[in-house]
Parts: sequence; structure tokens; C-alpha cells
Amino acid sequence: MKTFIVIAAMGLLLLYVWERVEIVRVGYQIERLKVKKVALERERDELQVKLSALTSPERIARVATEKLGLAPPQRGQVILVNVKPEAPAHGEPPMPDVKLARNEPVGKVP
Amino acid sequence: MAAAPYRGRRMVAALVLLSGFALILFRLFNLQILQAAELTVKADRQHRKAVSVQGPRGSIYDRHGKVLAINMDVPSVFGVPASLDDPSGVARDLSPVLRVRAGEIEKKLKQERSFVWIARKLDPEQGRRLERMPLEGIGVVMEGQRFYPKGPLLSHVLGFAGMDSQGLEGIERRYDPSLRGEKQMVVLQRDALGRTVFPKGLHEQVPSPGHNVILTIDEVIQYIAEKELEEAVTATRAKGGIVIVMEPRTGAILAMAVNPRFDPNTVQAISADRWRNRALTDTYEPGSTMKIFVAAAALEEKVMEPETLVYGENGRMVVAKTVIHDHDKLGWMTFAQVIQRSSNIGSVKTAMALGAERLYRWLRAFGFGERTEIDLPGEVTGLIKEPRNWERRSLASIAMGQEIGVTALQLVTAVAAIANGGWLMKPYTVSEIRDEKGRVVVQVSPQVRRQPISPETVHTLSKILEGVVTHGTGSKAAVPGYRVAGKTGTAQKIDPKTGAYSSHLSVGSFVGYVPAEDPRLAIVVVIDEPQTEAWGGVVAAPVFRRVAEQALQHLGISSQEPVKLAMTTSSEMARP
Repeated sequence: MKTFIVIAAMGLLLLYVWERVEIVRVGYQIERLKVKKVALERERDELQVKLSALTSPERIARVATEKLGLAPPQRGQVILVNVKPEAPAHGEPPMPDVKLARNEPVGKVP
Repeated sequence: MAAAPYRGRRMVAALVLLSGFALILFRLFNLQILQAAELTVKADRQHRKAVSVQGPRGSIYDRHGKVLAINMDVPSVFGVPASLDDPSGVARDLSPVLRVRAGEIEKKLKQERSFVWIARKLDPEQGRRLERMPLEGIGVVMEGQRFYPKGPLLSHVLGFAGMDSQGLEGIERRYDPSLRGEKQMVVLQRDALGRTVFPKGLHEQVPSPGHNVILTIDEVIQYIAEKELEEAVTATRAKGGIVIVMEPRTGAILAMAVNPRFDPNTVQAISADRWRNRALTDTYEPGSTMKIFVAAAALEEKVMEPETLVYGENGRMVVAKTVIHDHDKLGWMTFAQVIQRSSNIGSVKTAMALGAERLYRWLRAFGFGERTEIDLPGEVTGLIKEPRNWERRSLASIAMGQEIGVTALQLVTAVAAIANGGWLMKPYTVSEIRDEKGRVVVQVSPQVRRQPISPETVHTLSKILEGVVTHGTGSKAAVPGYRVAGKTGTAQKIDPKTGAYSSHLSVGSFVGYVPAEDPRLAIVVVIDEPQTEAWGGVVAAPVFRRVAEQALQHLGISSQEPVKLAMTTSSEMARP
């Protein structure tokens, strides 16, 4: 009986010590992950700034006109047509506006 | 007895051991009991470090979630001169990374100070290179920096934030309490090596970041407005200009362009004069655009009807001993033509029929002389004198848009009231405030200030204003395929040197809305001091057309007019 009590007490003590050690170990792990999280958040912000700068309309217009040789659509090349379908076909949502682009060379538009 | 000779030795050994233990016990007693309180405090001081931490500043987005302002941590490099053995060697190593001459860095490192900044707010890439270089006495810390990734786009509305992340102008200032991250003292626990340890209580204190602000601005329409304004200002060699695009039904601002622009990323190098959002901080004499409201008052008060005949005095009339001219020698014309041909004399006669008190009351009803209460800082009330302070000529002057100071924002807000059927809306630029998890904290809904004018009058007036574009002074504002209503304005400016109206300084403007039958956009264009031409119909109306045309296309607003298609395959669709 005596031995059993001693062993149980020792076991409890060990359990307590193990728990404390584990808390410290996990604590360090959490800290490491926090550092990693901060680094990843920084990277995310950095990429967001880059994305935002790259998608700025000013830059897109510059690349489109200077690098790709595109031009803004001239008058009459884009026609928005108001189409009110009677019933949505094939269960698709109704599309009130349809964009039509005419493939006419720039400058020959009436 | 063999034990006897060792007895003495044993005694000595026991004594040594015992006194050793006694010493340890004494020390333990001393440390753990006598000095316990004092040492606990000391240890705590070493383990814990209290630091003031601020949550990052919230971001600003346009109506489609495009980032317009964002915070990012960037590296800053400091040196501790006392712990450097070889300052010149370190300076040589740092020089290529920082892109600063070695001599300059060396000078900083040789200062008799405990801490020096070597370079602040660097590129993240530079920071990563520095981290890979083990340099004694050199450290890198991260500092929050505000970025405006689109450069000068929308700069006058966004404003900017200062070094300590406080909003100084524009949205950044007006919404600073929402954008600003929470500031908190946080106690960090450190181990013997100085690493942070997860807190014992297992609950962390983290200051919450600032809220995100979502604008009513459409980035693309803003770009269109800025681009077209810039081109017009360059072409007319003007001092500057303003374009505002508003949704008439709600009062939401879709674009607010002010020229010349500035880049909020490099604001330190720019004079304060350039930051001012002149669309709401500066007033100007509106000139003929004021005739819209004289006409609105006259129609609503039944002083005039579109077909009422007015005599144009052949372009010359004397009022209060001064002569008023029209640019054409006009004879008899209908009231609608008075507005469409922008007759000063006709407008003066209309104002006279209304009388000073009624004209004043009507202009005030349309919001002139009071703030629009837009959610941006620095707005002025404009200037409109009370009738008892008017001179003899004042009634005539005000009817032509002189002796009255308005902001471009007041003008477009008042015109939007005509576009939307008579409701004067409160203009606004922020539609939503969300927390870091995307939950809506504040939702802004459109606000009506009052209804100054009846829908019937609006209908009549709108027809007249359409005539301005189809066969009047505003023909260059016509957008093919759409019905446009609006009014041109040309105002002489007061020469600061003489105090009189200048012969060469003027403001050309156009204000209107489109499509006239179901207005989706109210737009004002103001060109300040154009050098090539003065007329609003020549300098401002084409800008209106180009902005409206592109914005309508961007918003997918279809033309109400039947379209003739050239392609045979699609010709079926074109039939009305």
C-alpha cells in the first residue's frame, strides 16, 4: 500500500513536470510560428502593393498602347445593346446588356 | 583499534561537508527568503519587457475592392557606434546594399552616439539582403510605411498619412479614427537569451488593426477623369482644372479629379498648395452655369414658361449705369432659347422678374452658400451675400453667375438635384467601413438634404438643358447615342493686381448629366485660366463628352437610340 502511494506520488510529480516542460516547448513553437506568420503577412502585403501597382489603369493603358500597340475603341466600335430576354434560356441568369464589338479598322468608322 | 586514526579525518570531512551545506543553506535562505521580494522584482524586470505596439493602419479600397492605400512593414537600418570595431569596413559592406556612398555611412558610424539611423524605410529586398549579412553593431527593425500603389491617382481625395501613421489630409484625415490601429502597451516575456516566450497566462494581448475603408470612387472612371483633364489642361495651357463625376440618384462620388496632381508617396517634397482638394476648398465665380438655377426658380415660381418671349435688346442693355452685353445681338427669343444661347440679358430680365429675395432663396435652396457636408475635410461654404447687402447691380450680376462664389462640388450636387428629379443629395465618398475580418462596421446610405424643386419643373428644365447641347452653346458636349443635358459657363476672373475683372484670366466650365432621360452620371468640368480659348463650350464641353463617353461604356449603360449596324449578319438585331 505504502509503495503504491509513493509510486503514485512520484507519477503525479513526473506528470506535473512533464506538463510544465511541454507548456514551455509549445510556447516556443507558438513563438516561432508567430514570427513565421508575421513574415508571411509582410510578404502578402508586399505582393498586394505590387499587384495593385501593376494593375493600375494608368499602367495598363500605357502597356496596352505602347507595348501591345492597342488603341482605345473608337466611336461606334463598341455598341451596347439593350436586350430584354423573355425568359432566361437554360436556367442562366438574364443578361440585359450585350456587348457587341465591330471589327472595323480604326479611322473608317462613320 | 584500526578505526582510531581515521576518526579525526572523518570528523574533518564531515565538518567540511556540513559547513559547505550550511553555507548553501544560508545562501538559499538569504536569496529565497530574505531578499525574495527584491529579487523577484529584478527578475521580472529582466524577463518582461513592456512595449507600446500599434495595430497596422487599415487599407483604403475603391468600390470594386481595388487597393488605393495600404500599410506595409519595411526595413530600417540602425547602427550602434560603440560596439563597432571597424566602422570603415562595415560601411564598405553596407554601401552596395543601401546604395549610399561608403564615406557617408562611415561618417554616421563614427559619431559619438549610442544609436544612429543609417537608412530608413528601405525596399523589402534590401532588408532581406541585410539579414543575410552578419554584421556586428548593425541592426534592422521593421517600420510601418503607408503606400499609395497607384501613385498620383485620386491623391487629392485620399490625402496622406504622416511618419507616425496619423492621417494628415483627405480621407486619411477624415477617417483617421477608423483607419488608425489600436495602440496598446504589451508585456512581452523573454528567456535568458532574450527570445520572446509565450505568456504564462496563455492569453495574448494583440492590438487590433485599423478598419478598412471602402470608397464610392470607381478607379477606372477616376483614371478616365484624370487623364482627360490632364490632356485638356495641357492643350489649353491652363493653370489647372477639376472634374467631378457623381451618381445623381445617390450623391455618391464616382470620380474627383484635381489638376495639377501630386504623388502622395513623395509628399514631403511637395508644397501644401498642391495638396488642397480644390474641388471643395476653392470657390470661383460660376458664370453662365448659374443660369440653370435662375431658370429653375423662374419655372417653379411660374414667372417664366419655356415659350415665354423675351427681348434680347440686340445684345446690349444698361443696368445700374453699367452695360451688359451678350455675345450675339439677340432679338426676340423664347425663354428656352435664353438658356440655350446663354443670353446674359435674358437671364438678367428673368432674375428681375423673380426679384432679389426670391432669387436668393432659390439659390440657397440649391445649396449655394452652405457646405454640401461631404465626408472630406476642408470644405468651404462658398459666398453668396444676403439681399440687404446687395449693390444695385448685384441682382443682374448674380443672374450671370458673378458676385457669387461656388465650389465645383456645390455646382455638381445642385445639378444632380435636377438630374434625379429634384432631390438635393448629400455627396459622399465612403460607402462602407469594414473590420479586419471583413465584417461591415459602418454602412453609409444615400442621404437626402431636401427637395428644392418639383419633378414637373425638373422635366421642363431638363428639356431646355438638352437643347443647350443639341442646338446651343454646349454642342461639343454631345455624346453620340445618348441624350445629354447641361450648361456651359465662362467667367472672367478677378485680376488680383487690379481688383477688377481681368480681360485674359477666365474659368471655362461645363456641367451636365447623361443619359438625360434616366441620368446615371452628373459631371462638372472646370478649366482654370485656359490660355488658348476662354469659352466653356470650347475648353470644358469636349472634356465632358470624352469622360461621359468612356464612363458610360465602362458602366455598360446602353444607348437608348436605335443602333444601325453595318454588318449584314447582325442587321436583324438593329431593327427597332
